[in-house]
Amino acid sequence: MTRWAMIADLRRCVGCQTCTAACKHANATPPGVQWRRVLDVEVGDYPDVKRAFVPVGCQHCDDPPCMHVCPTTATRKRADGIVTIDYDLCIGCAYCAVACPYQARYKTERATFAYGAPAAHETKRHDPDRIAVATKCTFCVERIDAGLAAGMTPGVDPEATPACVNACIAQALTFGDLDDPASNVSTLLEGNRHFRMHSELGTGPGFYYLWDGAGPDGGVPALRKLVEQAMELA
Amino acid sequence: MPDRPGAVAATASTRVPTYCYQCVAGPDLLTVKVVDGVATEVEPNFCAAEVHPGGGKVCVKAYGLVQKTYHPNRVLTPMVRTNPRKGRDEDPGFVPISWEDAYSLIAAKLNAIRAEGLADASGYPRVAATFGGGGTPQSYMGTFPAFLSAWGPVDMGFGSGQGVKCYHSEHLYGEFWHRAFIVAPDTPRTDYLISCGANVEASGGVVGVWRHANARVRGMKRVQVEPHLSITGACSAEWVPIKPKTDAAFLFALLHVLVHEMPRKRLDLPFLAKRTASAYLVGPNGYYLRDRATLKPLVWDEARGVAVAHDTPGVVEALEGRHEVDAVEIGPDEALLAQGRLPGTTAFTLTAEHLAPYSPEWAEAVCEVPAARIRKIAREYLDHARVGETIEIEGVTLPFRPVAVSLGKTVNNGWGGYECCWARTMLAVLVGALEVPGGTIGTTVRLNRPQSDRLKSVKAGPDGFMAYPLNTTDKARWSPKPNIRNAYRTMVPLAADGPWSQALGPTHFSWMFLDETPKGLPRVMPPDVWFVYRTNPAISFWDTAEVQKRMARFPFVVAFAFTRDETNHFADVLLPDATDLESLQLIRIGGTKFVEQFWDHQGFALRQPAVATQGDARDFTDIASELADRCGLTREYVTAINRGVAGVPLKSAAWNVELDAGRRQSREEIWDAVCKAASAEVTDGREMHGLDWWKEKGFLTRPYPQLDWYLLPTLVEHGLRFELPYQERLKRVGAELGARLHEHDMHWWDRQLEEYQALPAWKDFPGVWEAALREQGGEPEAFPFWLLTARSMQYAWGGNVGMQLIKEVADNIAGHRGVIVNGATARRLGIADGDEIEIATPHRSTRGLAVVREGIRPDTLLAIGQFDHWATPYAKDFGLASLNSLATMSLALTDATGSGADVVRVSLRRAGGARRGPR
Amino acid sequence: MSYGPAPWVQRHWDLRAAANFVFGGIGSGVIVFASLAGARGTPAALALVAGLALVGAGLFSVWLEIGRPFRAIRVFTNPRTSWMSREAYVAIALAAMALVAAWMHRAEAPAATVAGALAALVALAFVYCQGRMLNAAKGIPAWRSPATAGLIVTTSLAEGAGAWWLVAAAHAQGTRGALALLGVLLVARLLAWLAYRRTIAGAPRAAAALAPAGWALAVAGTLAPLVLLAVAATMSVEAWVLGLSAAAGALALAGGAWFKIALILRGAYNQGFAVPHMPVRGART
Repeated sequence: MTRWAMIADLRRCVGCQTCTAACKHANATPPGVQWRRVLDVEVGDYPDVKRAFVPVGCQHCDDPPCMHVCPTTATRKRADGIVTIDYDLCIGCAYCAVACPYQARYKTERATFAYGAPAAHETKRHDPDRIAVATKCTFCVERIDAGLAAGMTPGVDPEATPACVNACIAQALTFGDLDDPASNVSTLLEGNRHFRMHSELGTGPGFYYLWDGAGPDGGVPALRKLVEQAMELA
Repeated sequence: MPDRPGAVAATASTRVPTYCYQCVAGPDLLTVKVVDGVATEVEPNFCAAEVHPGGGKVCVKAYGLVQKTYHPNRVLTPMVRTNPRKGRDEDPGFVPISWEDAYSLIAAKLNAIRAEGLADASGYPRVAATFGGGGTPQSYMGTFPAFLSAWGPVDMGFGSGQGVKCYHSEHLYGEFWHRAFIVAPDTPRTDYLISCGANVEASGGVVGVWRHANARVRGMKRVQVEPHLSITGACSAEWVPIKPKTDAAFLFALLHVLVHEMPRKRLDLPFLAKRTASAYLVGPNGYYLRDRATLKPLVWDEARGVAVAHDTPGVVEALEGRHEVDAVEIGPDEALLAQGRLPGTTAFTLTAEHLAPYSPEWAEAVCEVPAARIRKIAREYLDHARVGETIEIEGVTLPFRPVAVSLGKTVNNGWGGYECCWARTMLAVLVGALEVPGGTIGTTVRLNRPQSDRLKSVKAGPDGFMAYPLNTTDKARWSPKPNIRNAYRTMVPLAADGPWSQALGPTHFSWMFLDETPKGLPRVMPPDVWFVYRTNPAISFWDTAEVQKRMARFPFVVAFAFTRDETNHFADVLLPDATDLESLQLIRIGGTKFVEQFWDHQGFALRQPAVATQGDARDFTDIASELADRCGLTREYVTAINRGVAGVPLKSAAWNVELDAGRRQSREEIWDAVCKAASAEVTDGREMHGLDWWKEKGFLTRPYPQLDWYLLPTLVEHGLRFELPYQERLKRVGAELGARLHEHDMHWWDRQLEEYQALPAWKDFPGVWEAALREQGGEPEAFPFWLLTARSMQYAWGGNVGMQLIKEVADNIAGHRGVIVNGATARRLGIADGDEIEIATPHRSTRGLAVVREGIRPDTLLAIGQFDHWATPYAKDFGLASLNSLATMSLALTDATGSGADVVRVSLRRAGGARRGPR
Repeated sequence: MSYGPAPWVQRHWDLRAAANFVFGGIGSGVIVFASLAGARGTPAALALVAGLALVGAGLFSVWLEIGRPFRAIRVFTNPRTSWMSREAYVAIALAAMALVAAWMHRAEAPAATVAGALAALVALAFVYCQGRMLNAAKGIPAWRSPATAGLIVTTSLAEGAGAWWLVAAAHAQGTRGALALLGVLLVARLLAWLAYRRTIAGAPRAAAALAPAGWALAVAGTLAPLVLLAVAATMSVEAWVLGLSAAAGALALAGGAWFKIALILRGAYNQGFAVPHMPVRGART
């Protein structure tokens, strides 16, 4: 089986918004709609303050509340974990949007463009089917499907990888198959401390946040393990 | 239908390789997806991942380029001004004209100048040109530099941000000390980095972000010393809030701990003795004691117990102590100050004594960082320095010192910049971490030659140091008649006379002196013709109101215009150039370049038209060729291209693709030849690919050795030393400059002359700005806040303020919608997040929204970027406060290198406007 | 202090959606109460039709809000998991049952009371669906409370009782038993609110935003009408009794409606974002 998942390494993310911009390009989302968004979070009181940049978006949950509430079955979950929306079925009731604990869903009531009237590139990519219905991050599902069909590996081959991951300039975002113990995402999760947002709600997000190395001093245990093994051998 | 991205009825979809060089931290190699002739998406050029030090990724700014191409407010036809009156409140009355008319108009002005003389009555060039920051426009202006080269003298010293917004002192002192136009940590190998205000996550581009993210996960500890919790502060292990403009005190205290509180043996004593001037003996007048015969500086040879010339083979330099030696002491203007048995003190001993008063306790009172924390940082720095260890780089064993110190804007420019740069470099020197793996290293050269090869710029100079092209201060050659209006050659010896020196002088003087040319300099008048491209000094410089007033007096301004903006509001002709995705140019990439651009490869990349040019915009090369033609300069213009002004010489010993200078060459012919020469250079003449090949491939590189990231091996090869710690040469130069100025009754630079100290001392740097406030009639108590700026990753250098996409994503980061105010301060003043606030100096004020955060000192306000637009479409509706409209341009705020800093003392109050929601 | 994208009030559902809960609740409540109050004949038929009309108005209102109104029929396609689909099916059943019962009451058919009771059961199911609909919205802490459904049901019944009394009193149709029932429902609603309030203590923004409406519900919507009902119970003059009962009904109705509007529009803070562990950058110092 395959379970596509995304990892955001909060130690790496600098809030540059490149993923957000790349997502907007790849998916031609209208102004204000950010399927991939990066938050600027500050915690503490001066001078003991911490600030972090947190990529958010659809978490492609194991048990997506948005899917359960959808009255039309427009929102579905694929066997590979990707939560999809069929724009032709959606009635735009926005029930999914209020059901999503990650504020990941958007509904654009009318066609909007960067400067009012549509520019050439906006005209080229405007999709009336996406007006007045729910939209959200798709994990760039069409890239994944096309890539798989072409024999590529999502998360490894750029053509088959979500645009935000391709764009990330800090290697903060990683995409891959959670069910493959040797995959990039599995390796990262094994080697680092991580959490899933609002895990108490039982949604089972397919989006993980790394915040520290797994070893007692942080760092990369896999590397440490290698060093230890090398020393034992010596 | 399931999810899908847009209704892409892709009948003809291609990906066109090109580059983005919107900021100094570029270039980024990318592809543009073009569907039916329309650019739709930007993506990284994945083919570049193997050669690019940032994984071939693309900065967020590049994603604004599609919107830029199709921007509804683009100027798409040449325009001419119909209102002869110029001013902010005057409608220019631009009306469209044909290119033919535009060329005729400009050529008439230029040919009149050629007929009359290229210089005005004061000797200043009649033609001036201002381009945007960091040299980025050069990657977009095609062969225009060849036109300027063919033209003759051009004044490129009208600032648009240089000096105030750049790492000015670092540029000058960095190149002087270690060929470091920009100084960087060797991030991939550094374990401990003290970063004083260097905001690499905002200004380091893709490569900076990439390298530091890797370093963090690897375990590099970065301590960010800064008044506010910047992006970089956020991404650091520690944030040390420091009082603005007191970084020198903090750094001096670190030096004090290393020199006075740590065992001496923990420092890199061999490095200090052999690779620096620490052992040079300094005489009673503060100049080196020299050998009578050779005039070489003397050191005390511990092995033989005598003073010998510094370069005596086998010498064992005494690092510390006092010795009476037979010597001469030569002062300014070669004056013999003393001779005979003279008391000499090693430069290191003098340095140690100089640092003695700067204890952490002293520094705590100045910079408000607890003494214990300063000590802890100093100890950690030393603990991480691994003094004595080595590392092998490409088969060569080098010292390994994984500690570095970086400085940011406002720390390394303006008053205090010299002190900070010296202290930072000394921190590296003490542990042997200068120009070695893991340490503090330089990136590129812009004042020394050749620009394309930093290591080749190393040549032996006086006293065992590298040569440096200081502007002369000797009586015979110094001239009170500058070559350009900002007088860099006359006033700033360190600005040198290299390729970028004009822009690294006191560029505000060009504006300031228009009304008040100080005594001794020829009267400054506006240039007859001013070219402006990719820059907006009416917004981006300090004292923008004053700059605008003076700009309004320029008689003929030619602005290459993307949209209308605050500077081209004063223009006479607007020329629409083909923008980033529409035009053609080949640039050099790789090697080591600005900020953190350390590559393992070097070569060239092509920018090419991904889509047809919108409207009647034209490629810069076409414009340059046409202007050259109409000015009768085609031969000189093509010759300049042949010489390499377009990026690569067209002729070498192994190949020759020179163009016929006897006739006008088309854009394709020019770049085809450049492409062939470039590919020949990359392949050592084995391959010669024309434009079509490059259009398909996008870039071509060859390996670049990592060994060349470090200057030390070259220095060793030349038997040279770093010119540290003692600044004998600068002391001499300062004294000579003072003498020259005073001989001409010029005393208005006296305060700046005080900066020429052999060992820089702490001065009350915050007091400089407080004094400026008092001069304006304000008391510090009534204006208790320090207003600062910081770069924005999304905007810095980009000229992209009108891009909706950029605004939308930038707004996700705190501070892009208003001025950041400390939470306790806001509560005390009754200010809530989203309130309208007024920030004022005694005579000016600016308004914006409050962004209340905890990550900023209570006495500090932060206005990110520079957004005070009133003409640029879209941006003029931002309603943001800008420091630039409050800062005053003054001599008192100008340091000896000719730079100022982004600091203003201000008051703050709630303006009473409606609350407009959160950041 | 913590600054970041804190929870904000959802903007997906506006007054049009709130109207569905208000009108649907009142309408269903009227149908239920009419049955509980033992109404017969024309008044019962009128109550059923009016209740149904209110439910219809609510649904029409929400139809105005959906992005693709002409696809509204698709709302029926996911009864397996979606309470919105279930609400739609129940609405159809309610319409059928209410109209049949109304016709039977109008015709004074013998089984009219049974039909009315069946309609009341379906109406109860309708408001239960509405309650569960909110409860399933995991993104809104104030809605996903386990006590939401109970609160929505009880307040709908109380609102319906209030509305019924408002009209019934005007037509001198009320009985003392029905009056007592209103009182019981008000107390039940108050208890449901108090129970609900405890469950949202972990969502302070929502709790604070709902507090005024909660107080209004408790004082103006519950205590005041209870006092009026108590006074009415001591009165012997029928006109006074009816007048006070009408006032109590109006307050019960208004308090509930106001609270539901607040619940949809003001207390509907979303989940916001949480970062339980701030990242370790380079070193743990």
